[in-house]
Amino acid sequence: MAENDTDLDALFAAARQERDFLPEDLAARMLADAQAVQAVRAASETAPEPAKRPGLWSQLGSALGGWRGIGGLATACAAGVWIGLAPPAFLPDPAELLYPQSDTDLFADLSLSDLNAEEG
Amino acid sequence: MGDPGDDALLVLFANGDGQAARDLTGRLGPRTYSVALRVLGNRAEAEDVAQEAMMRLWQMAPDWQPGRAKVSTWLYRVTLNLCLDLKRRRRTEDLDAVPEPQDESPSVPERLQEAARIDALQAALMQLPERQRQAVILRHIEELPNPEIAGIMDISVEAVESLTARGKRALARALAGRRTELGYDDG
Repeated sequence: MAENDTDLDALFAAARQERDFLPEDLAARMLADAQAVQAVRAASETAPEPAKRPGLWSQLGSALGGWRGIGGLATACAAGVWIGLAPPAFLPDPAELLYPQSDTDLFADLSLSDLNAEEG
Repeated sequence: MGDPGDDALLVLFANGDGQAARDLTGRLGPRTYSVALRVLGNRAEAEDVAQEAMMRLWQMAPDWQPGRAKVSTWLYRVTLNLCLDLKRRRRTEDLDAVPEPQDESPSVPERLQEAARIDALQAALMQLPERQRQAVILRHIEELPNPEIAGIMDISVEAVESLTARGKRALARALAGRRTELGYDDG
């Protein structure tokens, strides 16, 4: 048994002689894989972030001419409301234009019985 | 200053260091190929497995947490799993596994004798049950300590001892009739 063990140890030793061997073409393929993985990683790290689509308010702001445009629009709206509520003296009262008032009483001389007689 | 460990090289590799890729290939590639060759007994398949195992190492590098495990342990484990996957896919065994001869081997007759011995060992290894073969290769050819083998194979140290002991006995029986042929019966 001891003899067999010695033989076996010698065989293991022979196999160990080859454990540090790597075929050249296999080493080249391993290295090529490594470089490819590194290249993919480097490309993903340096690639710019994909452009984000602007949001609704951003698009609206651009359409109205940016913050200056929006500011002007807000001022005009405020002025319009103020003129509506307290119009200057030289302008006609918009409420009166819509609902004209008259001092003349068309029915002043008529009594209720007259009105009833006309209908009847 | 000593050479950086596998851990440090892997971090350098993940940071794009080309020299780290070469160093890791030089350090870990041969052992990966050696284990695959001894377990599979087929050179072409061993090359495919070794390349795939190293590819998984490259891809895993950015996620590697230094200090948690040895890189070589992780790689041995991946290699053995890939070997098992391959063996499940194929059932016919190819015993034509003559390793490349060493460049600096002594003389032609001695080299032939050495090659014949390695062939005989490989043929005997291929007769062992899968787990015994893995344990014997890791213990007696890769010379790993039993606790590391236990970690790689995910079994207890006692189980490793049992597998290697039974594996050695089976190998000795398989090779007993070939002592003269292998040049061990000179006197």
